[in-house]
Amino acid sequence: MKKQEKFTSAWEDAGLPVIVLARTDGGFAPVYQNSAAASLCEDGGSFLTDRVPEEIRARLLGGGPCPVEGDLPFFCRIQGGAYSLVPFSWEGFRVCMLHDVTGYYNENQRILNEAVMANKAKTSFLSEMSHDIRTPMGAIIGMTDIALMQQDNPARVKECLNKIKVASGHMMSLLNEVLDMSRIESGRILLQEEDVDLADLLHEVLTVIRPQTDAGELHFSLKLGEMAEERLRGDSVRLKQICINLLSNAVKFTPAGGDVKMTVEVVPADEPNRVLLRLTVQDNGIGMSEEFLQRIFVAFEREEKSTTSKIQGTGLGMAITKNLVELMGGTISVASRLHEGSRFSVEIPFTASPDHEERYRQALCGRRVLLFCGRRELAEHIRDMLGRLGVSADAADSAEAAVELINEMAFSGGEYFALLTTEKVKGVEMLLFLPQVRQRMGADFPILLLSDSDWSQLEYVYTRAGVDAFIPLPLFRTRLSAGLYAFTEEARQSLSESGGQRWNFHGKRILLAEDNEINREIAMELLGMANLQIETVENGREAVDRFAETSPDYYDMILMDIQMPVMNGLEATRAIRALDCADARDIPIVAMTANAFVEDVKNSLAAGMNAHIAKPLDMNQVYSTLDYFLGRGCR
Amino acid sequence: MKKYQLSYIENLKQIMLLSDTASELGLDAEHFLSARQDKRGRISVLVKENTALLRKHLFPLLDDITTASAEDIAALEEFASALTPGNQDVMLAYSIHNALIVYARHYKLRDMLIRELYNTGMALFQLNSLIEVTDPYRYRWKMQMLFGEAAAYIRNYDEIEDPETRGYIHRSMGNLALGYNTRSIESGEKKMQILRRSLQVLTDPVYQQKTPSLPWETYIYKSHQERTTGLSFLRTGMAGARITREVMESAEYVWEKQQEMSRRTGRPLSTRWRVTYNLAQYHCGILTLRQLLTIMEELYMQRDVSDFTDEGNYTNLFLPNIYAEYLSKDSRFKTAKKEVLGHMYRMMLRYVRSVPPEKMTFNFVRNLMNTFINFVEYPDGIRQRDFLLQLVVCRNPETFVYLQMTASAARMLLNRIIDRKPELLCGVLGCADTDEVLASREELAQLAYDCGMFHNIGQLNFARMTTMAGRNWLKEEQDLFQYHVKIGANILKRCESTKLFAGAAEGHHFYYNTLGGYPDDYDPKEHENQAIVDIVSLAAYFNRLLNDTIDYTRPPLPLDAALQKIADKSGTRFSPAIASVFLEMKDELAEYLKDGRLKAYDMALHYLKKEDSLPQ
Repeated sequence: MKKQEKFTSAWEDAGLPVIVLARTDGGFAPVYQNSAAASLCEDGGSFLTDRVPEEIRARLLGGGPCPVEGDLPFFCRIQGGAYSLVPFSWEGFRVCMLHDVTGYYNENQRILNEAVMANKAKTSFLSEMSHDIRTPMGAIIGMTDIALMQQDNPARVKECLNKIKVASGHMMSLLNEVLDMSRIESGRILLQEEDVDLADLLHEVLTVIRPQTDAGELHFSLKLGEMAEERLRGDSVRLKQICINLLSNAVKFTPAGGDVKMTVEVVPADEPNRVLLRLTVQDNGIGMSEEFLQRIFVAFEREEKSTTSKIQGTGLGMAITKNLVELMGGTISVASRLHEGSRFSVEIPFTASPDHEERYRQALCGRRVLLFCGRRELAEHIRDMLGRLGVSADAADSAEAAVELINEMAFSGGEYFALLTTEKVKGVEMLLFLPQVRQRMGADFPILLLSDSDWSQLEYVYTRAGVDAFIPLPLFRTRLSAGLYAFTEEARQSLSESGGQRWNFHGKRILLAEDNEINREIAMELLGMANLQIETVENGREAVDRFAETSPDYYDMILMDIQMPVMNGLEATRAIRALDCADARDIPIVAMTANAFVEDVKNSLAAGMNAHIAKPLDMNQVYSTLDYFLGRGCR
Repeated sequence: MKKYQLSYIENLKQIMLLSDTASELGLDAEHFLSARQDKRGRISVLVKENTALLRKHLFPLLDDITTASAEDIAALEEFASALTPGNQDVMLAYSIHNALIVYARHYKLRDMLIRELYNTGMALFQLNSLIEVTDPYRYRWKMQMLFGEAAAYIRNYDEIEDPETRGYIHRSMGNLALGYNTRSIESGEKKMQILRRSLQVLTDPVYQQKTPSLPWETYIYKSHQERTTGLSFLRTGMAGARITREVMESAEYVWEKQQEMSRRTGRPLSTRWRVTYNLAQYHCGILTLRQLLTIMEELYMQRDVSDFTDEGNYTNLFLPNIYAEYLSKDSRFKTAKKEVLGHMYRMMLRYVRSVPPEKMTFNFVRNLMNTFINFVEYPDGIRQRDFLLQLVVCRNPETFVYLQMTASAARMLLNRIIDRKPELLCGVLGCADTDEVLASREELAQLAYDCGMFHNIGQLNFARMTTMAGRNWLKEEQDLFQYHVKIGANILKRCESTKLFAGAAEGHHFYYNTLGGYPDDYDPKEHENQAIVDIVSLAAYFNRLLNDTIDYTRPPLPLDAALQKIADKSGTRFSPAIASVFLEMKDELAEYLKDGRLKAYDMALHYLKKEDSLPQ
C-alpha cells in the first residue's frame, strides 16, 4: 500500500489530470485520480467511470497490453474543452494522463465542418448537375431519335437539328464552367499578357449578350464612361469571360421586361501608365437574400431553388468570376436586395498599351464625313468623338436626308471623305441604299458600317452592298480613328509600299465559264490580282467536261455565266451536280448575271447554284463572294 | 431599233388590244367567257414570245453592257425611249437606263451619263407614281440621287460643250424637286428650296448667254408649274408666308403664260391651270370657298367626256377629287353640295368605263386612287363600296369574277365553320361566345362575302401590270405589286361602308404562322376580325390556283391539286383549323365550281350593261 501511496502521491502536482490504475486479478482498477482529474468530474465522481466511453474504459481496465497513444482516437469533451487520453505503464501501474487539446480539436472540427459542407454542396451540385445535364441530353437523344424517324421530312429534321444545336450549346457551357472551376481550384489557370482592345472586347461581349437579352425580352443598355485608355495589356479571353458571366447572370435572374445595365469606364490609376477598369452590371431582377449574398461567390452555390427552379446553371459562374478578377489583381463586390435586383461592381488594374491615335488624328484632321444614323443620341455621340479627331460630320437620319447632303456637297464643289453608316436606319432598305451610294460616289469612296452585330454574320451581304470596312459598336475612339485612317492617302501609301494586298486567295483555284472574250480577260486580270489560279472555258459544255476530267477538289469554286452558247449555265450546273464525282454536289457554283426574271433566280437556285454575282463584275462583290465560299482571304 | 425591239413593242400593242373587253360586252356570259379565254390564250403566247425575246437578246446584252457596241447602245437608248410613252413598259425602260448608266460610268462618257441619270430618274418618277399613295419613300431618295448627280454637273458647266447635255443638267436641277413631296413641312420646304435654286439658275442671264439654244422659257415655265404643286402644301395649312407667296407667283406666272398661249394659238385655256390659278386665289384670300367651289363646278361642266388626254383626265377625274377635298373643309358645303358631288362621281364612273386600255396610264390610275383616298361618302348617297365594285367590273370584269368567286367561297367556308367549329369565330363582330356566333350567322356570312369582294381592291392600282403585262415580271415588279395590300387597306379604311374590309385587304397575303407573306408590319393581333381575314386568305388563294385570269402565265389547277396545295400549307400559310374545315368541303366546292364561274360572269355582265347602277 505504501508503494501505491508513494507512487500516486507523486502525481498530485503533475499539472495535468492524471488517473492511476493498479493491477487486480485479471485486470486493472482505478486507485487514484489527482485533484486536476477530479475537478473535471462533478460531485467527486470518477473520471474514468463518468467520462471515458465504455469501450475505451474496457481496454484500459482489461488484462491485455497497455494501449498506446494513437490506438485510442479519443477526445473527451469536458466543460467546453477537449482532452486527449495518453495511457502508459509504469512500475506495474497504468497511468492515464489527460492532455488539453481544445485548440487543436476546434481547428480540426472547423476543417471537418467545412469539408462536410463542401461535400454536401458538391453532392447537391452533382445532383443538380445530373438534372441539368440530363435535361439537354434528353433533348439531344430524343430529337435525334425523332430526326432519324423523319428522314423523309427535311423540315422536321431541320427543326430537330436546330433543337439539338441549342441543347448541345447549353450542355457545352455547363461543362466549360465545371472544367474552368476545376482549373481554378487546382491553380492551373495562367493569365495571358496581350494587347486588349476594349472596343473589340465589348463588341464581342455584346454579340453574345444581345441575343440573350432579346430572347429574355429585356432592355439592355451599355454606358461608356471616361475612357482614359482603350487599349490595355491583359488577358482578353478571361476579361471577356468576366463580363459575359456578370451579364449572363443578370439576364438569367431578370424577368421579361426588366432592365440590365452595364457601365464601363477606364480611369487613370495612381501610377503612370496604369489604369483602373471599372465595370458595373446592374439589373432589376429577383435579387438575392442577405443570407445568400454571403455565399454568392462560393462555388456550386445557387439561390433558393424555389425561386430559380426554372433557371439552369452550375452555380459556378460567380465563383469563377471572383477568382478571375482576383487573379488579375482586382476586386469584385455585390449589392443586392431581394425582389429589387443586384449590382455587381468590378475594379481591375491594368497597364495601358500604346496606340496610334495621335498619328491618326493628324491624318484625319480637317476632313468631313457623312454620318448616316437613325438614332439621334448615337449620332451625337459619334459626332462628338469625330470632333475630337478633328473630323466634322453631317448627320442624316433618312435616305432622303443623306442623298440631299450628298447632293448639296456636290453642288458646293466639296466632297465627303467617307460615309459612316449604322446597320439600320428606320424606313431605309440598306442593301438597296448602299449600292446606290457606292455607284454614285465611286469605287474609292470609303463606306464604313457601324454595328453592334457580329461582323462575320454581316460581312457577306454588306461588302456586296458596297461596304468597305466595319467599326464595332459601342464606339471607341481608337476604332473610329483607325477605321477612318485606313482610307487616308497616308495609310493607302503605306499599304502600297509594304506590298500589302487587300485580298489574297493564294492556293485557291477557280473555273471561270464565260463565253465573252473581253469579259474573260477582265475577270482573269482582276481575279489574278487576288492571287487566284484561274482556268477558263467558253461554254457550259466545256465547263462540265473540264470539271469531270479533273481530280476531286481540284477546283475550289466555279464562276458560271448564265447565257452561253452550246450549253447555258443552268444546264451546265445541273450536269455538274449530277456527275458522279466526290465534290460534284458540294463545289460552290456562282452565277454571273445582273438581269433576271423572278423565275430565273429561282431556276438558278433550283439548278444547284449557290449564289449570284451581278454583272458587270464589281470586284469587291466578287471578292466578298469568293471570301464567303473559299474561306477568308488575307486582307 | 433592233428587230427584236420592234417586235417586242409590237407585241405590247397587241396585248393591249387583246386585254380590252369592250368588243365582248354584248355577248352572253358563256360566249363572253369563251371569247376571253381565247384572248387570254393569245396574250399568253405573246407574253412568252416577249419574255423569250428579252431573254435571248436583251438580258445577255445588259449583263455584259460594257462589251456592247456603239450600235447596240444607240439602239438600247432608242428602245428605252420607246417603252416610256404611255407607260408601255417603264420597268424595262428603267432597267435599260440603269445599264446605260453603268456603261457611261465605265467608259467615262460624261454626256451620256448625265442624260441617262436624267432618264433613269424620270423612269423612277413614273414608277413612283404607282405607289406614292402608300409608300412615298421607296423611290424618292433614288430619284434624288440620280437627278442630284446629274444636276451637280452644273459645277462643270463650262467644260460641257454639248447644249443638249447642259439642258439635261438644268432639267435635273428642276426635277430634283420631284424627289420631294408636299406632305410634310420639311419635305415641302425642301422642294420649294430646290425649285427656287433651279429658277435662279434658269433666269440667270449668264447661263442663258452660255447656251442660247436651250428652251429657257419652257424650262422656267415648267419650274413654275412644278412650284404650283405647293398648293397641296398650302391646303395642309403648314406653309409659311414665303412659300405661299412663291406658289402664288408661280400660279400667276403660269396663268399669264396660259392666256398668252391661248391668245396665240386660239386653243381654249387649260382647265388644270384655271383651277390651279383659282386655288391660289382662294389660298391668298381673294376667293371664298363658295366662290372657289362654284368656279370648279363651272369648269367641270365644260369638260369633254371623250377627252382621255392628261387634260381630260384632269377635268374628269382629278377635278372631282379636288372638289371633294375642298368640300370636306366645311360641313355646310358638304351637305349642300351632296348632289353635285354625287353627279361628279357618277360621271366619273362613266368616264372610267369608256377609257381605252392604252390610256390607262400610271397618271390616270394615280388620279383614280386619289379619288378613292379622298372619297366623300354620304349615308344616303353614293357609297364607296358600290363605287369601287362598279370600277372593278367596268375596268376588268375578269377581276370582278375572281373576287366574286373568292367571296362566295369565303361565305361557304364561313357557314361551314359556324356548323363545325363556331368557336373559331368568337371575337368577330364582337361575338363573345359560340351562342352569339350562331345568332349572328347572317352578318358574319355577309362580312366574309364582302371581305372576299374587296380584299384585292388595291390591285386596281396595278391593273397595267396584271392585265396588260407584256412579259413575265421582274423581281422589282413583284416587290412593287406587294403594295397592293397596303393600297387596298388605305382605300377601304377611309369610308364607313368599307372600313370593315380593310383588314382582309391588308392581311390576305400574310402567313397564319406570321413567318411569311407580306406586309411585314401586319399584326394579326390588331385585327378583331382576323378569323375572317384567315378565311378570305384561304378562299383567295384557292381561287388563284383555279383561275388564270390574274396570272396568265400559270395554268389553272384541278380541284384535287388545289386542295392538296392548301393541305400542304395548313399550319404555315393557313390556319390549320380553318384549312381542315375547308378540305372537308370538297364535294360542296366541286358542286359550286360547276357553274359558279359562269354565274359570276353573268353578274359581271349584268353590272357592265347597267350603267347607272349607283344610288341616285
